[in-house]
Amino acid sequence: MNYLIAAYGVTAVSLAAYTLHLVRERLRARESASRARETNNG
Amino acid sequence: MTAETNGFGPVATRTRTASGALLGVLLIAYAYTVVTAPIDATQGVIQKILYVHVPLAYGAYLGFVVTALGGALYLWKADEKWDRLAVSGAEVGVIFCTLMLVTGPIWARGTWGKWWSWDPRLTVTLLLWFVYLAYLLLRNFSEGGSRTARFAGVYGLVGAALIPLNYFVIEIFGGRGMHPENLERGSLGEGMGMPFVIGNLTLFVAFAYLLLLRWEVETLRARNLAESVDPVALAREEIGT
Repeated sequence: MNYLIAAYGVTAVSLAAYTLHLVRERLRARESASRARETNNG
Repeated sequence: MTAETNGFGPVATRTRTASGALLGVLLIAYAYTVVTAPIDATQGVIQKILYVHVPLAYGAYLGFVVTALGGALYLWKADEKWDRLAVSGAEVGVIFCTLMLVTGPIWARGTWGKWWSWDPRLTVTLLLWFVYLAYLLLRNFSEGGSRTARFAGVYGLVGAALIPLNYFVIEIFGGRGMHPENLERGSLGEGMGMPFVIGNLTLFVAFAYLLLLRWEVETLRARNLAESVDPVALAREEIGT
């Protein structure tokens, strides 16, 4: 049972962490684009 | 910034949003079918690792196929969006391949009594992982540009040759390794088909969601980089002058 929990647990945690990382990267890239646009307009 | 102005297609954005919503429903069905799946008479409960290990393998294959297709399309059309798709496919594929290489040894330890064996399937899988890890290192530690993208396109196409080798290696070696043979129709026990199908569907949708998200991030990064290099040209491009 421990092996089963380890296999599913490591998969679930890793995929969730990777998703969060990508969501944060997308937000960061969008903020960076907005700042650049404001600077250009200002 | 809208999906259209950030250079990422609205269809791709809508597909990602839909796959994210679908994933929520599938995860519940996946958990339910795995918990209620029958326990294997020979291996016991540990056999249920099958429902995550095999879908992870298919996800890894799919990621590397996307890399080859993206690379081929870039070489043909010289459009950078295909190169960005290729990079995204490699990264998500490596994540799935890494998890396959983690869940496999966990299963092996419980059934074979050891974490690893230099069995043909395991050895070729490790080779596949190294090939695409090298691809990502190449992309991260090179200056970028069309020359790197062209080389990566060819590399991705050549690397994809390892996918059929990885799949058929057990048959090539006549089933002499420790790894069980590839699943065929009807080879699963009664009641094991549904969790297997739901597991594959869930991880396929998770793969699609992550691939589209990664592709969007890559597109935004490229756009930001281009904007920092030539903001005036990009502003003109946006207003259509």
